[in-house]
Formats: sequence, C-alpha cells, structure tokens
Amino acid sequence: MNELLANGPGLGAWLSLAGLLFCIGTYGLLTRKNLVAVLCSLELMANAVNINLVAFSRFHGDELGQVFALFSIALTVAEVAVGLAIIILVYRQRQGIEIHELTDLRG
Amino acid sequence: MNATALAVLVYPLLSFLLLGLVWPLRQNGRLAGWISTLAAVASFLGSLRLLWKVLEGEGVGSATIPWLVADGKVIAELGIHVDGISASMLVVVTLVAACVQAYSLGYLADEPKADLGRYFTWHSLFIVAMGGLVLAPNLLQLFLAWELVGLCSYLLIGFYWRKPSAGRAAVKAFWVTKFADMGLLLGLIVLYATTGSFEWSTPVPAAWAVVVPALLFVGVMGKSAQVPLHIWLPDAMEGPTPVSALLHAATMVAAGVFLIVRAYPLFEAAPPLLLAMTWIGAVTALVAAVTAVVQDDIKKVLAYSTCSQLGFMIAALGSGQLMGGYFHLTTHAFFKALLFLGAGAAIHATHSNSIHQMGGLWRSTRFSAVLFIVGAAALAGIPGLAGFFSKDLILEELLHAGQYGPLAMLLLSAGLTAFYMTRVVAIAFFGPASEGAAHAHESPPSMLLPMTVLMVPAVLAGLAGPLFAGLWNQPYHFALTPVGGLATLAALSGIGLGVLRYGTRSWASPLPEGPRRFILSAPIDSFWLAAWQRGLQPVARGIGWVDRYVVDGLMNAVGWLFLLAGEKVRALQTGRAQDYVLGVLMGVLAVVAYGLVGAA
Amino acid sequence: MAAWIAFFALAVVLVGAAVMVVSARDLVHTVLWLALGLVTTAGVHVALAADFLAAVQILLYSGGVVTLMLFAVMLTRHLEGATARMRSESGARGVVVALMLAGLIGASLWRSDKLGAKAPAMEVDTAALGELFLGPLVLPFELLSVLLLAAMIGAIVLSRPEGPPGSVPRLPPRVTPPGGPHE
Repeated sequence: MNELLANGPGLGAWLSLAGLLFCIGTYGLLTRKNLVAVLCSLELMANAVNINLVAFSRFHGDELGQVFALFSIALTVAEVAVGLAIIILVYRQRQGIEIHELTDLRG
Repeated sequence: MNATALAVLVYPLLSFLLLGLVWPLRQNGRLAGWISTLAAVASFLGSLRLLWKVLEGEGVGSATIPWLVADGKVIAELGIHVDGISASMLVVVTLVAACVQAYSLGYLADEPKADLGRYFTWHSLFIVAMGGLVLAPNLLQLFLAWELVGLCSYLLIGFYWRKPSAGRAAVKAFWVTKFADMGLLLGLIVLYATTGSFEWSTPVPAAWAVVVPALLFVGVMGKSAQVPLHIWLPDAMEGPTPVSALLHAATMVAAGVFLIVRAYPLFEAAPPLLLAMTWIGAVTALVAAVTAVVQDDIKKVLAYSTCSQLGFMIAALGSGQLMGGYFHLTTHAFFKALLFLGAGAAIHATHSNSIHQMGGLWRSTRFSAVLFIVGAAALAGIPGLAGFFSKDLILEELLHAGQYGPLAMLLLSAGLTAFYMTRVVAIAFFGPASEGAAHAHESPPSMLLPMTVLMVPAVLAGLAGPLFAGLWNQPYHFALTPVGGLATLAALSGIGLGVLRYGTRSWASPLPEGPRRFILSAPIDSFWLAAWQRGLQPVARGIGWVDRYVVDGLMNAVGWLFLLAGEKVRALQTGRAQDYVLGVLMGVLAVVAYGLVGAA
Repeated sequence: MAAWIAFFALAVVLVGAAVMVVSARDLVHTVLWLALGLVTTAGVHVALAADFLAAVQILLYSGGVVTLMLFAVMLTRHLEGATARMRSESGARGVVVALMLAGLIGASLWRSDKLGAKAPAMEVDTAALGELFLGPLVLPFELLSVLLLAAMIGAIVLSRPEGPPGSVPRLPPRVTPPGGPHE
C-alpha cells in the first residue's frame, strides 16, 4: 500500500477517471435535448479517449500515444466546426435546435 | 413440287396478311372480298396443278424445317407432306373455298363494310390453316392447324356478333371442340412420351397402342361432330350460310376424318377402337338422320345431315377401309356445300330459315331450286350422282368387314336421308305458297355462278372412283352388288315415302307429336348441360373454394404476418437521433460484453 | 504522495465539471462548465508528462472550440431562450446505459493485471514529437491539414446565408413555436 502511495497514481487510476468521464458523456449524449449541449457531451467523451491515449503513452513509454491524441484533438476540432455549422443551418430552417424535433428519419 | 405446294398456301397467306395489316383495305369490305376470293382461286389453280403432278408421279414426298430444337435434338418439324391424299384434299378444300367466297360476295353484300372485311380476312386465314392441316407432315403441325381452323370456326360462327344467339353458338362450338381437343392434346403428349416423335408412322408400344389412338379419336369426335359430341354443329348454323357450307359441311368438320386417314397406322394397331369407331359412326348416322327428319330449319336439317354423313365416313374408317370413307368425304364436300349454298339462296330470297316460310319457291327461283334438288339427289344417293358411288362403297366395305349391325343402321340412315331431303324439297319448293316466297327474287349471278361450278363435281365426282383407287393403289371396279342394290332401294323408298307423304299435300310432321317433341328437346344437349351443372360445376366450385380460402388464405396470412411485423418494427425507427445512438451503444456494449465473456 | 493529491484534485474538478456539463439548465453555463473540464484535462496531460499536448488542448479546445460554441449559442439563443431542458423521458434510459457502460469498463479494468505498472523514466519532450511529425509521420500530418481545410470550407458553405454574395444576411423571422416559449 505504501508502495502504491509512493509510486503515485498508476495506469488503472487514470483509466478509471477516463472511463468515468466517458460514462458521464454518454449520459449527456442520450439525454440532452439542445443540439449544442449534445455536442458538448460528445466533447467530453472525446476528452476521455484522449486521456486514455496519453495515459497509455506515459505508462508504456511510447510517444506515439501522444501523437494519436494530437490527431484526435485535430479531428474533434474539425468535427465541432462542421457540427456547429450544421446546427446553425438547422436553426435557420427549423427555427429551433431541439434534437427531438428532428424526426425526418422516422419510419 | 414444294414450290407448287407452297404456292397453294402462300396466296391466301398473303391475302390474310394484307387484309389483316392494311386496315383501310379491310374496312373497304368489297375490295377485301375480291382480294380474298382471287387468292382462293389462285390457290385452287395451284392445287389442281399439284394434283396433276402427283398423278403423274412427280413431287411426292415431304420437305420439313426443324422447329423446337433442344439439346441438338429436333423435337418437332414444320413443313409439307405431298401425296395423293393431301393433293386431292387440297383441291376439294380450295375449290369449295373459292366458290364459297365468291358466293359470299353476293350473299353478304348488305352487311357492314367493316364486318365484311373481317369476314374475308378470316376466310383467308382459314384456307391457310386448312391447307397447313392437309399438308401437315406430322401430328404436331396437324394439331396446330387443327386449332387454327377451330379458331376460324369460332370467329366465323360469331359473324353476326350483334345477335346474342350467334355469340353463344360460337362459344358453344369453341368449348365443345376444345373439350374434345383435350383428348387430342393428351394423345399427342402420350404419343411423344412413348415414341419420342410426332410421326404417325412410328409404332406405339403395345401397352399404349389403344390409348393413343383412342385419345386422338376423342378430338376427332369433337371436330367431326360424332355423337355425343355433335351438339355444337347444329348451333354453329348461327353463322352465315357460306360459312356453314365451307367450314361446317365440306372441309373443317371433315378434318377429323382426314386425321384418321393420315394417322391410320396408329389406329390400325387398335382393333377394339376400330370396332368402337364403326359403331359410333353408325349410331351418329342414324341418330342424326332421325333428328334431321323433324327439323323445320333448313340449315338445321343440313347440319344434322352433315353429322349423319360424317358418321358414314367414321364407320367406313372403322371397318378398316380407308378408301370409302375418304371418297365419301370428297363427294360429300361437294354436294353438301352445294346444298348449303342452295339453302342460302332460299334464305336470301325469303329472309327466313324455316322451310314452312319458303313454300312455293319453285315458282320464283327456279334455277337455284334446280341446283338444290340436284344436291339433294346426290346426297340421297340417286344412282349416277356422286353420293351414290361413295355411299355404296362404304356399305360394301362394311359388308366385307362383316359388320352387319352397323350396316343395317347405315342402310336405314340412307333411307332416312332420302326421306328428309325429299321432305325439305317438297315443303320448301312445292309447299303451300308462303308470304316470303311471294316476294322472292332469284339470287344474283355472283351467287348462282359458284353454285353452278359446284354442281359439276357434285354430279360427276362419283365417276372419279378409279382415280381414288389409284391413290390408294387399290383395284376399283364398280358393280351393282346386292348391297348397292339395297342402298339404292333404301334411297328410292325414302324418296317414295316422302313423295307419298307430301304428294297428298298434307304438310304435318312426319312423326307423332310425342317423339317429335322429345327429339326437338335435344336430349343430348340436356345431358351435357346437366353433366356440366351437376358434375363439373360443384367440383369447380369446391376447387375454387380451396383456392380462394386455403391457398389464397395461406398467402394472405403470410403477407399479413409480414405487414404486422413491419408495423411493429417500424416503431423502432423513431427518427430521433438519440434513439439511434442508443442502438449503437447497445451494440457496442454487446460486443464488448461478448469479448469479456469469451476471454474468460 | 503529492502525485496522488494532484490526481484527486484533478479528478474531482474534472468529474464535477463533467456532471455539470450534462446537467446544467442554462446552455451558456453548460459551455462554460465544458471549458473548465477541458482546461482541467490539460492539467491531466501535464500530470502525465505531455506538456505539448496540454498546450494544444488549451489553445485548440478551450480557446477555439469553446469560443465557437459560445458563438453558436449566441446565434441561436434569442429564440431558444438560454436554457436547455434537462428533464426528459429519456433520463432513466441514459442512466441505465451509462451504468451498464461503467460496469463493463470497471469489469475490464478489474480483470486487467497490468494496471499497477510503474511509469518508466522516459520523458517525452516536444522536440521528439516534432521530429516524429516531420519525419516518419509526415504524410498523415499533411493529410490532417487537408482534412481541416475541408472541414473549414464545409463549415463555411453550410452556414453561409442564402442569397447573392455580399448581400446582408437577413435575420431569420422570429417565430413563436406552437407550444409557446420554452420554460
């Protein structure tokens, strides 16, 4: 136990934190109604993934994990840019960005 | 040889295509009639030339092209088969057809132009079909042509399509013959299954030797109006009289007889069937002759007379003697066509079919009356005329075959034939003067000329006996045998009875009221009607019920199941993005959970 | 020991911010809480010895993304109102799915035997990353720039107002939804 304390938080600790974040993000993704809030929840989940990547990189001693995280961040930024543009478009056409009102895919 | 034979078919085929495709020509009616008639005449001249060549021993044989080739094996062939039988039959068909078409130009002159154009179009098609039947090299082509002439028959019986009775008669003829053709078709199928070809010369294995010709004979009974499948022929008289002359007296109904002559190798192998044929033919001859005695409609008399004479032919073929049956076929074609055309002239003059409305026609239309009486005498078997020789030959052949029962029935029929023809002539031409006959005029030359042409073979065809014997390679020498004497006696006594009966100027029915009523009520028709209503319809209704509620029900249930499932599954597609995300997540969870469990 | 204190501090702030992101009633608050979470994540990166990544995180995420989102909120809030409704019929569903996910993640972590590994003494410095990007990974790196360019053009095309270029974009008409103003 002392050894664990002395060594500081290990891989499991960081992964647990990321997993918790990911779950919270999932909850938001499923329950938020505003499109911007849904996008925020997605960001949380992407962040959790990034933490995982960095943690693995640190504990495996491989810088490629960081490289992956960088790519991931860049992709997320692109996603947000396009996503927000879509939200504005939806708003312009529908006068609202309530996700529950977008039911064109209904069978 | 092939060119000559093909030419016989090509002229009417061209005429049919021309009239069928170029509708202004068809709408013109009269012009269409001329085209069709000229094609028929050309066809007749061609077939005369063909017969001449054949008699000189030239060009006998067949030429075929393969049809329906499968796996490199020729299943069926189309083509022409020329020999004495087909060449002489072609002459009969085309001569009668040409005369009838020319006659129609006058007889149907008052019909609407479009109807007339259609009429001649079907006539051209009929000559093509009948020629194809006569020249058929195998049973399959014969069957095709057989159905084609059946179609022409249906179309031409229904010529007066504004009359409901004509439509009904056309449908009745179609269905009765089609019912019989089922037998023919089955026979063809069995023939092909057992011998692997549609040739009539291939012997059928012994187990099927009776079945195949028996099935073919069912088709013959329908087409050649043998009892009990003769019921369509009297109704077919609803068609125009020239049609009755060509199709329902001279040529088409004789197709059945022709089929037996052609496929005789098959029939020969089935002696029980031959015996049955003899009896069926004799019964038909007698029943139809009795029925003809009480008819008042001149065309009905002739129709039953046709049935009766076809019975003579079938009986002759059944006794194993082809020549007599075939000889009678040709002579009958001439004098019966002449009779029908003469009856048509009387109908044209009086606008009625009833012989009681024609009384006294002798005075106003003497020329056509003479022609009719000549035809009647030929039919009755007056010595020297065509019918005498061929009927005599049939009776002699029956005697040789030892068929005394049918022989007696045929002798009786011959007497009855003479009697009912005398009755018709007496009432229609010499009976009490009727209103119709008072205003009657002689027919136009376009009708009288073809009748005169037909009268020549009706009188002289009997002398062609040696010619026919040559076709069969049989000796022929005419001698008035005791049977011939009996037949002549029967004919003369029939005529004598008629003269005695009507010479007294008493025009009442020859039979007592009871039997007359019974015969006129058409008991065989009633039998078929009852068989249809009580036998076939309930079965059909039962099958219909099974189809509607069991088979369709099953299909509907399956369809309904999928509809229901679709409705239920549809609810999953809410259109809300988050529901889809939920689905994706559930899938991911399932995969990960499976991986965890699998790793354990 | 100090490392543990830092971890728990970061974890508490991060989880707290995340919970607020998914539960705040006010949309602006949501975005602001997200900004806090992203900055804290940068802290996590520092704790994991990824300094350059932390810098990128703050620059891109906290600076760019959050600003963009605030813009989007500003552009749409005059109709929507400032609030994003939290209560919904799918709340229970979200909880269930999140718990199942947590259970699976927990189970897989529990079964792993490599979690206690001590971090090697390796320090990843920025220079090494730079050499990676411009060395063996130059092709994906350049492709990434193409992707970003495409995303930028796409965003512009999507959100550009209709009408000829240069015309003043009309504000969309203010329409009251059938159910009346939201909450």
